[in-house]
Amino acid sequence: MEQIFFWSLAAGLLTAATAVVVLRNPVSNAVCLVVGLVFQAALFITLEANFLAAVQVIVYAGAVMVLFLFVIMLLDVKEEARRPLVWSKVFGVAAGVVVAVLGIPRLVASFPASQKTLVWGEGKTASDAQSLGTLLFTSYAPLFLSTGVLLLVATVGVVVLCRRDPGT
Amino acid sequence: MIAYAPYLILLLPLLSAVMTRLFLHPFPRVAVTSSVVACLLSFVGSLFLLASGTPSGGMAAPMIPWIEFAGFKANFGLVADPLARMMSALVTGVAFLVHIYSIGYLAKDPSRSRFFGELSLFVFSMLGIVFADNLVTMFIFWELVGLSSYLLIGFWFDRPAAGAAANKAFLVNRIGDFGFILGILGTWSLFGTIGFADLPSRASAAAAGWAVTAVGLGLFCGCLGKSAQFPLHVWLPDSMEGPTPVSSLLHAATMVVAGVYMLIRVLPVLELSQVTMTTIAWVGGLMTLLPALIACQQNDIKRILAYSTLSEIAYMVMAVGLGVTGPAMYHLMTHAFFKCLLFLASGSVIHGCHEEQDIWKMGGLRKRMPFTYMVTWIGTIALCGIPPVSGFWSKDEIFTATASHPGLAAVSMLAGFFTSFFMLRMILVAFGGNPRGEGAKHAHEGPPVMVVPMLILAVLSIFSGLFPVQTFLGGDHQGHHASWTLWVSLVLALAGFVPAYYWYAGASQDPLSIPLLRGKFYVDEFYQRFFVAGQDGLARLADAFEGWVVRGFIVRGSGVMVRAAGQGLRLVQCGQVQIYAAVFIVGAVLLLGWLLRVGAFK
Amino acid sequence: MIFGPITLGHYLALSGFLFIIGLAGVLLRRSLLIVMMSLELLLNAANLALVAVGRFQGLPDTQVAVFFVITVAAAEVALGLAILVAIFRVKKTTAIDSMANLRF
Repeated sequence: MEQIFFWSLAAGLLTAATAVVVLRNPVSNAVCLVVGLVFQAALFITLEANFLAAVQVIVYAGAVMVLFLFVIMLLDVKEEARRPLVWSKVFGVAAGVVVAVLGIPRLVASFPASQKTLVWGEGKTASDAQSLGTLLFTSYAPLFLSTGVLLLVATVGVVVLCRRDPGT
Repeated sequence: MIAYAPYLILLLPLLSAVMTRLFLHPFPRVAVTSSVVACLLSFVGSLFLLASGTPSGGMAAPMIPWIEFAGFKANFGLVADPLARMMSALVTGVAFLVHIYSIGYLAKDPSRSRFFGELSLFVFSMLGIVFADNLVTMFIFWELVGLSSYLLIGFWFDRPAAGAAANKAFLVNRIGDFGFILGILGTWSLFGTIGFADLPSRASAAAAGWAVTAVGLGLFCGCLGKSAQFPLHVWLPDSMEGPTPVSSLLHAATMVVAGVYMLIRVLPVLELSQVTMTTIAWVGGLMTLLPALIACQQNDIKRILAYSTLSEIAYMVMAVGLGVTGPAMYHLMTHAFFKCLLFLASGSVIHGCHEEQDIWKMGGLRKRMPFTYMVTWIGTIALCGIPPVSGFWSKDEIFTATASHPGLAAVSMLAGFFTSFFMLRMILVAFGGNPRGEGAKHAHEGPPVMVVPMLILAVLSIFSGLFPVQTFLGGDHQGHHASWTLWVSLVLALAGFVPAYYWYAGASQDPLSIPLLRGKFYVDEFYQRFFVAGQDGLARLADAFEGWVVRGFIVRGSGVMVRAAGQGLRLVQCGQVQIYAAVFIVGAVLLLGWLLRVGAFK
Repeated sequence: MIFGPITLGHYLALSGFLFIIGLAGVLLRRSLLIVMMSLELLLNAANLALVAVGRFQGLPDTQVAVFFVITVAAAEVALGLAILVAIFRVKKTTAIDSMANLRF
């Protein structure tokens, strides 16, 4: 079971990711990214991180990507023009892909911890909202508060950046 | 009190020179007077010194301490031994006569204050050489004399020839001085002292060897420069660009014989090496003949006399080389008188012919300038060594010394032959015949200030042979008279007059033409080709090196390299974020790889 | 071994591939919007790795880390888009080449 889920979800995720990088229409890109994020959420569930999966869908796919789409629509960004193929770039990309495909599994296999197998129900982490919340508000409280400040700063920054000059 | 006399004699002319330089340029009469009076007082002091000293004793004036370290002592001291006393009397006496003569010769020159100031400076420097008690002090005054010579030769500095001649004199002298310095250092290194008082004892204790020869030759180099012997003789004929009183005082009577004086002072060192003595003798011997030959084809009256000076000094040098300093000093004294006389006479001729110096443009002067004619004859007879005039006695003593060296005897007697030849040639052409040039047609005698010194010198030329110079040197350096040298040299000297009379009596142009002699054996040209051009080549090479390597490669090259580095480094700032990111990723991957290899994640 | 039971290695390998794809997007695309989206892919790859390791090693703290990553990513996207909009107003294009002002 784990295997079926993993492989299908992995394939989907990689396809969506590739699509994001390859397609030219920004709207298509955004939509593919949303799909990818949902697949990612599903993978989180296979890892028994249910709360995070929900957070991913709500915040990441739901808010961040929507923001992206807003901006795309606002700016009316056109399809990116076709560019002539630069063979050096193609070659570089192909070489990089080959190196990656060959290298990453070997790299990963060199870690001894990679041998651990996945068995649902054996996860020792309590990953529901309560336990996460406890961790968040006790051990990592300062970080949590700093993040709050960060978000405030981001908000103010966005407002300032998008202000038009008083004259115009 | 007497002990301070040398200082007084020495410093009076200096005082005059300094005052002239600082204050008296606008007041020529005052400058002239101060210079003449200083010289007169020095002369009187020298005579006093001469009269009061014992013939064989010396006296040292109190010493001013200067350099003393590690056993090297060079203090400023003056010594007034008989040799110094005689020499100082000679120098100041002749200088005084020349001072008087110059009053007339330069009466119309606007810079005569400067002239007399420089003349006083010269007298001071020369007396410094005479009275010096060690080689270092002597060397200081040696250089000062060179400076005075430079200033006086180039007195009319707006003439390029004069400036060039002054430079030549100074530079050639400098070359000799280099050897001289090496000799002085060698003297100290080998004998532990540079004082003339200690040298005899220390030198006799030393062993002969190549080091002693080298030191002797080094000291001889100084003489080569100052007394204008081969190969450093080239400056003396050119020095005739200076005013005639300068030529007579410096380059005939006093400065050029400083070399001989120095050699006599350091004789203990020279005598240690037979090689040195032989070298000195032969250089002297050859130098009697060569300038005599050159003078046979010269047409400038002063240059003829300059070459004859070279020849006569060579006689003195040869005598020193043969070990007989008595005859050398004797000849030095008589030569001072008659050569100075001849130069003053030539000055009178030049002055009378309105600055004409070419003998072929003169002529007929025996009628228009009879007094000068007579004194010239007196000087010539003395120079050629015809008895009973002074020159005969001094030259004969030198010939006697060569008796056991047939080569030197032959060379020097042959030189006597040619000396007579060119001197008669000079007299016949300049004074005989009919006036050939504009100046000669209107020639006239000089004023009494110019005539009286010549008269005094003429008297001295005739009678100075009787002066007992030998007693001032004592010891075993006396001269003798051998009979065969006397007759042979006399015959040759008289014989020299014959061809001169034959060719030049009544001649209006030179019947002889020998380019080799007229071209002075092309020594100057050789030097020009070899040394000057070589130096030029080196300079060019250095210039090319500087241009290419230093300026081009190093200076501009470093600039180019910096610029190229800058251009290369510029590419880092491409402005494109993706390239920056790519570089970043590459770096991160490399870092990661290295960490994994090092085992940071175990 | 690859096709046997799912191990931590699988998840990590997946995370790695995702990272590579995102990297390609960041370095190679011309439009700033696409670059930012690829940036999200990179972050997601990291998140995946974090969660997987946390699950297999029994560390709940990694999930807290992922929480923070998502938050910061959101803030970053907001600001990035704001900047993009500001630039777009001047340049009228999102092509990165036109924004290389700080070149030599």
